Amino acid sequence: MRRSPKNTTVSPQEEGRGAVVRRLLHGAVPRAAWRCALAAALVCGIGLLPWLSRTDPALTVLKARSAERDATPEVLADVRAGLGLDAGPLHLLGQWLSGLPRGDAGRSWISGAEVAPSVLQALGASVLLMAVALAFAAVTAAAVCARTLWLGSRRRLGDARPGRGGAAVLAALPEFLIASVLATVVGVQLGWLPALGWYGPRWTVLPALSLGLPAGALLGRLLADLLPGAFAEPWAPAAAARGMPGRRIARQAVRRCLPALLPNAALYVVGLTGGAVAVEQIFDIPGLGRLTLQAAVAQDLPVLQAGTLALVLLAACVTLAAHGAARLLAGPALAAGALGSLHRPAPPASRVPLLVYGAVLVAVVGWGLPRDPLAVDTGARLLAPSRAHPFGTDALGRDVLARLAHGAFGTLSQALAISAAALVLGLLLGLLPAVSGPLVDTVNAVPPVLVALLVTAVVGSGSGTPALAVTAVAWAPLAAHAAALLRQERATLHLTAAIGLGAGPWHLLRHELLPAVVPPVARHALLRLPAVALSLAALGFLGLGAQPPSPEWGLLLAENQPYAERAPWAVLAPAAVLALLGALAVSAADGMRTRRPGRPRRRGAEAADPGTARVVPPRRSRPAEPELATAPGGTARE
Amino acid sequence: MRTMRSVRRRRLLAASLLTPLLAGCFASGDDSSDAGDAGSRLRVALAFPPAENFSPYGADATLLSRLGVTEGLTQLDANGAAAPALAQSWQRENDRSWLFTLREATFQDGTEVTADAVASALTHAADAKPQPAALSGVTVKAEAAGDGRVRVTTADPDPVLPLRLTSPSLAVLAPKAYEKGAVSPVGTATGPFELTKTSGSSSATLERFDDYWGGRAQAAGVDARFVADGTARANALRTGEVDVAEAIPVSQAASLKEGTRRETPTTRTTSLQLNTGKGVFEDPAMRAAAREAVNTSALADDVYEGYADPGAGLYGPALTWAAGKREKPAGRAEAARPDGESITVATYDNRPELPEVAQVLKQQLEKAGFEVKLEVREYSRLEGDALAGKFDAFVAARNTMLDTGDPVSILASDYTCDGSYNLALLCDDTVDEAVEKAEGTADEEKRRDAAMAAEADVLGADAFVPLVHQRIITGVGASVKGVILDPYERTLVGTGTRR
Repeated sequence: MRRSPKNTTVSPQEEGRGAVVRRLLHGAVPRAAWRCALAAALVCGIGLLPWLSRTDPALTVLKARSAERDATPEVLADVRAGLGLDAGPLHLLGQWLSGLPRGDAGRSWISGAEVAPSVLQALGASVLLMAVALAFAAVTAAAVCARTLWLGSRRRLGDARPGRGGAAVLAALPEFLIASVLATVVGVQLGWLPALGWYGPRWTVLPALSLGLPAGALLGRLLADLLPGAFAEPWAPAAAARGMPGRRIARQAVRRCLPALLPNAALYVVGLTGGAVAVEQIFDIPGLGRLTLQAAVAQDLPVLQAGTLALVLLAACVTLAAHGAARLLAGPALAAGALGSLHRPAPPASRVPLLVYGAVLVAVVGWGLPRDPLAVDTGARLLAPSRAHPFGTDALGRDVLARLAHGAFGTLSQALAISAAALVLGLLLGLLPAVSGPLVDTVNAVPPVLVALLVTAVVGSGSGTPALAVTAVAWAPLAAHAAALLRQERATLHLTAAIGLGAGPWHLLRHELLPAVVPPVARHALLRLPAVALSLAALGFLGLGAQPPSPEWGLLLAENQPYAERAPWAVLAPAAVLALLGALAVSAADGMRTRRPGRPRRRGAEAADPGTARVVPPRRSRPAEPELATAPGGTARE
Repeated sequence: MRTMRSVRRRRLLAASLLTPLLAGCFASGDDSSDAGDAGSRLRVALAFPPAENFSPYGADATLLSRLGVTEGLTQLDANGAAAPALAQSWQRENDRSWLFTLREATFQDGTEVTADAVASALTHAADAKPQPAALSGVTVKAEAAGDGRVRVTTADPDPVLPLRLTSPSLAVLAPKAYEKGAVSPVGTATGPFELTKTSGSSSATLERFDDYWGGRAQAAGVDARFVADGTARANALRTGEVDVAEAIPVSQAASLKEGTRRETPTTRTTSLQLNTGKGVFEDPAMRAAAREAVNTSALADDVYEGYADPGAGLYGPALTWAAGKREKPAGRAEAARPDGESITVATYDNRPELPEVAQVLKQQLEKAGFEVKLEVREYSRLEGDALAGKFDAFVAARNTMLDTGDPVSILASDYTCDGSYNLALLCDDTVDEAVEKAEGTADEEKRRDAAMAAEADVLGADAFVPLVHQRIITGVGASVKGVILDPYERTLVGTGTRR
């Protein structure tokens, strides 16, 4: 982490460019070394995976080649000899590594084809898909923030209540559901766009849309969270007073908020590149997600190693680009320690939606609890909602309402516990960005199935393994978010002031940094709650996690997905409660926000007066002139 | 203004640079429509992508045979008997040796199909590592015998050699195919269609082979796409992107238009294997109780939506001879009344219906008094535990004809003491004797009788409960004619297939 020069007396102008470059590079070398070490550890971990988990790769490879082939000892011995497995994992790993400098990533254990070209091809498809998805995500995020931007740029945000339940609902929808609906409705029934394949730009629209919509909703939600803070900074009224058009003010506000958001967007980009398995499957896209999933299941180590390495490299590049962009956007101000905190003086959020959502959820659960979630009645399968079955029945004639209600407790408690653990981990590691930065990228880049396999290999497949495997991934975006917020927070004036007043590091952490960072990150964690519930169910096929006929919500979605067209209610009901959970989480987070703003900072008299707090952020004792640094006059100082 | 233009020019440059880069990111293979005779090309969506780069010795062999690329010396006819293919006729010289007379045919590279070429192809197959499944347990030697004849000898007497040779993995390829390291069927096979281009595991292009011995095919070529997702295959057929889509999952069958769904009974039997080696089902009375608890028609009619027949035995209605020869299982134990015995039923989710079947079974078994726990995993992570007897019961879908085309092989591998895939852990002298007798029977009819007798013994031991015999659903576009619906799933496209 760069030490921001707030406690030096030298101002950036006097330092000269060399020093700026030096500071930018500060820590780059150890960071790069740490990144390489992580990648190396990952590749070695994969190389040892079958031996750690005691799953014979000869068997998994044989079954991937030919599912119906009986694995007699002779056949397995032949496969083993063909792959050279008897030489042991270390030899194989060394052989693979020695080929890398020549661009030779070995040959696939399954097909015998060269790995490097196929991984590159898949990476190309995935990166393209992700790029188009990102464009859709940007549009979605813009739509989500439009109201805040419009009101904020016209200085009318003060009385507006946050109303972004819609975005939370969209963010909670699983990608495969959107993909199924788009493929069936737009692709098959309307015939507007191709529903299958990957042959040209027209083929990118539907899959990218199914990835971009929820991602855009989440990013938009995070952006909308920050915007009011930006609009409340003194430059905004000043700009408005100068007669600057609302559009420019809005643009500057977005620019002001983007640095905090970019790391998360970068995580999304990388996560989608390797993790869009469901969408790749539905639209039959030859992407990296499917390739690595197949390789992970079959323990096709050369492909798995090469695919993971490609993803980790991509993650490093994207992160660097994101950091560069963030620095470009906020650089001078960040370096000058001249940023305001984006703590927003929040309007008191209404508790009505919280109560309404909560009541609906409780009512649904209460309604379904007396019913039997396991009673199979194959004669009554896929029945539409009726009086006897208010939410219809699933493919085995079980009551969907009953399954939803009985699955609620297990799903919610587990997802909440995981989210809480991820939050704590994310915050702790977010405080040490030098350590966690590359770790976040790496963990995020690795396909979740592989993480699950690695976790299983280390701890065995006990009952806690699935939760552990999901937690091992879930903390990463939270840590990235926390680190980004901290970076901004450390550059704020109030911190300088506190240090000037003699605050020690512990005091700073407890009274300045954490209060600023915890609420938004906690909101973020809640926003991801539905995703956690889904990823738990996604591990089922490895024999981890909930097994049928348990009514976990993620499992409900997965087992009813094939029937999405014939019996939409069986998928829509769990998707709807997940979305409701998303909306509930968001309004709960908003409720949390109402209690926060005045508390941590008791320094100014303004804080005691919510009336002024709404117009002028409470923490600024004096309007500092570099505040405009990130506003239009960013270069005016030079 | 100038800056504007330069920016525009730069954009143009960037776009022109990006276009080929972007093109590299898409899959190739949708250039089917620009061919001159596009109308008569056939577009097919297959379920299983080539796993081993079209190696003829593994599962990809079936794929090549389904597309009409490769052929062997013999082929299976509708009754499951060996019929002539590249071999016109054959005769058994003695216990260990068979003489095959070749027909006049040409390889797709233009060379003649000679006895030497055939012998060398079979020798390569026999030497492949791992061995093709059809040859497991036998040692085969092939040599040219003059006059366009090939002599195949086996180390031990093998009465079903012509059946073995129907296996797609024993296809005959031109000498050119074996020149380089990996065996390549591209342009070296003998079937009505020639594999000309493959792009990874996403698609393959086939052209008509005009000199095919069986006559010129009606379709000018085949564009095969490999679509692993069943819903996606059904969608491809519904949007008219393909003419034929194989293996439509039951859940998607209803979304296809009436008349585009063709069902064929297959040799695939879904059964509940009971662990006779240890645990609750070691007791024959408990196995009998499980058998009586299962209601197979609920599975066939509801879970499989009628695309299956209730289980009758090991061999289903696809083997037309089986039903008439079925004997009533003798010596079955009297069912005991289970009293909350706890059992674990395992299955895999690679076939989407199996977890559903297992859940229905759970309810049926619990009604009978068992306490049931389910275990559902991906297949390769389950097989080891299943064969080791860690579960009390196992729901499995199994192709009862295996690769040998011989009904006795499955009895030997699945239900004898030394069987390599003995999920029931059955070791029963009566069964072993019956199987041994069947294996030694040469005459086709008598061999089938003996197989049915052995089946009755296995059923008598209650080692497994037959659940359903699956039918496979093939989606065939309205204008398509001549698709071969093969119960053995070895052919799909033939000379008469067109649209």
